[in-house]
Amino acid sequence: MRTVDIVERIEGEAKLVCTWDDKIITNAQIEFLNFRGFEYILEKKAPLDALIYTPRICGICGQAHLKATVEVLENIYKNLNYEIELTNKAKLLREIGLNIEIIDSHIKWFYMFIMPDITALSSKDFSSYKPLKGEKWLKSSFITSEIIKSLAIIGGQWPHTSYMVPGGVVSDPTLLDLTTMKNYLDSAINFFEDDFAGVCIDDYLSFSKAEDLDKIGKDLKDFIDLCFEHGFDKIGKSYNRHLVLSSTELFKVGKSNKRVINRVDLERIEESCEYTFNIDKNKQSKEAYTWAKNVRYADNFFETGPLSRAVISKRAFISKLHEKFEDSVLTRVMARMDEFVHLLYITKNLISKIDISEESFVKPKISLNEIKNAEAKSVVEASRGSLFHDISIKDGKISKYNVITPTVWNLGPGNKSEPSVAQKAIIGLDSIEKAEITLRSFDICSVCTTH
Amino acid sequence: MKKDKKPKVLWLQAITCNGNTHSFLSANNNRMRLFLNSFDLIYHPSLTTDITIKEIIEKKINFDFLLVEGAISSNKEFFSISGYSPYEMLNILVKRTKYLIAVGSCASYGGLHAKFEQNSDIQGIGDSLSAENLYILKHPVVNLTGCPAHPEWIIQTLFSLKDYGKMALDEKGRPKELYYGLAHHGCTRNEYFEWKVEVKHFGLKEGCLFYEQGCRGPMTHSNCNKILWNDVSTKTRAGMPCIGCTEFDFPRENMLETKKNIGIPNEVPLEVSKRAYLSLTGVAKTFKIGRLNKKLID
Ligand code: SF4
Ligand code: SF4
Repeated sequence: MRTVDIVERIEGEAKLVCTWDDKIITNAQIEFLNFRGFEYILEKKAPLDALIYTPRICGICGQAHLKATVEVLENIYKNLNYEIELTNKAKLLREIGLNIEIIDSHIKWFYMFIMPDITALSSKDFSSYKPLKGEKWLKSSFITSEIIKSLAIIGGQWPHTSYMVPGGVVSDPTLLDLTTMKNYLDSAINFFEDDFAGVCIDDYLSFSKAEDLDKIGKDLKDFIDLCFEHGFDKIGKSYNRHLVLSSTELFKVGKSNKRVINRVDLERIEESCEYTFNIDKNKQSKEAYTWAKNVRYADNFFETGPLSRAVISKRAFISKLHEKFEDSVLTRVMARMDEFVHLLYITKNLISKIDISEESFVKPKISLNEIKNAEAKSVVEASRGSLFHDISIKDGKISKYNVITPTVWNLGPGNKSEPSVAQKAIIGLDSIEKAEITLRSFDICSVCTTH
Repeated sequence: MKKDKKPKVLWLQAITCNGNTHSFLSANNNRMRLFLNSFDLIYHPSLTTDITIKEIIEKKINFDFLLVEGAISSNKEFFSISGYSPYEMLNILVKRTKYLIAVGSCASYGGLHAKFEQNSDIQGIGDSLSAENLYILKHPVVNLTGCPAHPEWIIQTLFSLKDYGKMALDEKGRPKELYYGLAHHGCTRNEYFEWKVEVKHFGLKEGCLFYEQGCRGPMTHSNCNKILWNDVSTKTRAGMPCIGCTEFDFPRENMLETKKNIGIPNEVPLEVSKRAYLSLTGVAKTFKIGRLNKKLID
């Protein structure tokens, strides 16, 4: 038997086509049918204009694309031996901006996408989570709109600012600006303690055992309880192979295939179009069914995202949950939520480290429009996982721009011999509801997957 | 207010990055609550609602406001929404609504997505209504341009239309009251603009971004610097040039540089003659105002 279900609320939509054998899913095809052609749009554009274009690949993780673009342009200079030395202030302001966007995205994801689905499985009254109406939903939307203000202070607005430019950032915050940013993050910490997890942040950050799960209260406890009630601690498992392409204050670069190795080689990344549509029909494979490509590292499918980041940087609490529950839906969701708390804490500290007397920007000596021929790559950790940009410039214009988004790692099609990460997590399940929640545990973003 | 008395709002996403959705969801919370109390958002693709888009179509459900985010295309190979092309979807839904509002520059004019030349028919809503639907609406399409549109522009438009039934639009279909002024108005760098003090480089509070950085504030209709973004700031206040995202021609080329000819910006502020602008600049520059040539806070 085959079923086709439209999965909505994934920043767009996808089709989930499942093949069933005696009530068990034996194959799952995730079809992303929409394509906006960003890589084509960027061709022949002035390199700096990419700072305006790429954030618009995605309305929810635009800052990650901005950071990837600004860094790929700086790497162009580097490859031509004109290295730009960023001030520490500029580096901090970039990382802070990206972190705030991730925090915002994680909270939205929990209340907008995870809770509505998982509470729907229960017969208990969870109306307070009801989108647009429930008090908990409204509160979460209040807190995300507060948090994002702290990014607007340095970026001018969110979404879609291009405040990072080669050489630094455009803004020059005052001490009061920084204080205000911390204030907004404090509101988020209060939200975490009072409404989200019911534990004080310092206690939470000291969690180091799987049993510490029991100390969690409030909304996150509702999730945990529902998870156990419906067996999400046991399902959603995939290859349990993890990849993180770049490091920050919280994340470490590396891969894990049973054991963690803190090194990756970008040359070993390979994108394939075996099942992917092509805008040139003559080049399209007969088996094409989606606009998403697949991507593998050293010939293997790897998961990327908050769980991978927690595993690679060995964050205590999630590492213990991971030992016990492996790469289940429970661990994956908990890793994302754990990341949001850690980012809150770390980002506040990063703000304190800014020395406002430093310059925000150092002007590059030559203009990108004068560059004859150069190539570069960059990597960034975005909300949903590792993001990779690859640019070529010819005669002062972009001649090629390739983007591999986090969701392509997790949600692309498989290949002849193996299913992709999300496909593998779904195969073997016995209901479409479970399949959708498992799919959603990867934090799907349709616009990013196809770009 | 009883639920069934509230005007019904349907939000459709066509070819978009969902930036307008996230802009809207980032609205000031009191405003958002007021909106949710006064309107019935019956469907939004990013949110769990009681009804699906399929049911709305099949059950021929009517509503009051159709908000469309994203550009329109009839090419299903590149883009489809629950099996329909954005063009088909728009033309089905337009028959059910009283007002049609384009949220953002993509929905208004095709915006950035229209730059995807391989899909040649990407357009804004105004150009995407079928002949039979062209005159069906009781009110002209309202274009809330911007990339993204400001949440307040959306909320104010909805309330005005709910209370007054109509709005004055400019020749580009934008509400006059939102777009009569320029992004330039209210910019904290205006004094630098007047006295022609340019910002030395990015990353400074001091100086105007018009002469070098490509700021389009003086040519861009929007009230960004009056109704601040996320309640706290704007691009130009923070130090990023306005890139003219509310205008027909967005995105333009070389948005972070000012095109110049022998040192004079190719385009000068709206309706100012180039010669006059030049003499004015010459005069203004002679003033050398000390205060404007040093750090604001030492
Ligand atoms: S920065 Fe732009 S908006 Fe601000 S004063 Fe200068 S030209 Fe006007
Ligand atoms: S300041 Fe200019 S670019 Fe920025 S949002 Fe307003 S109109 Fe758009």
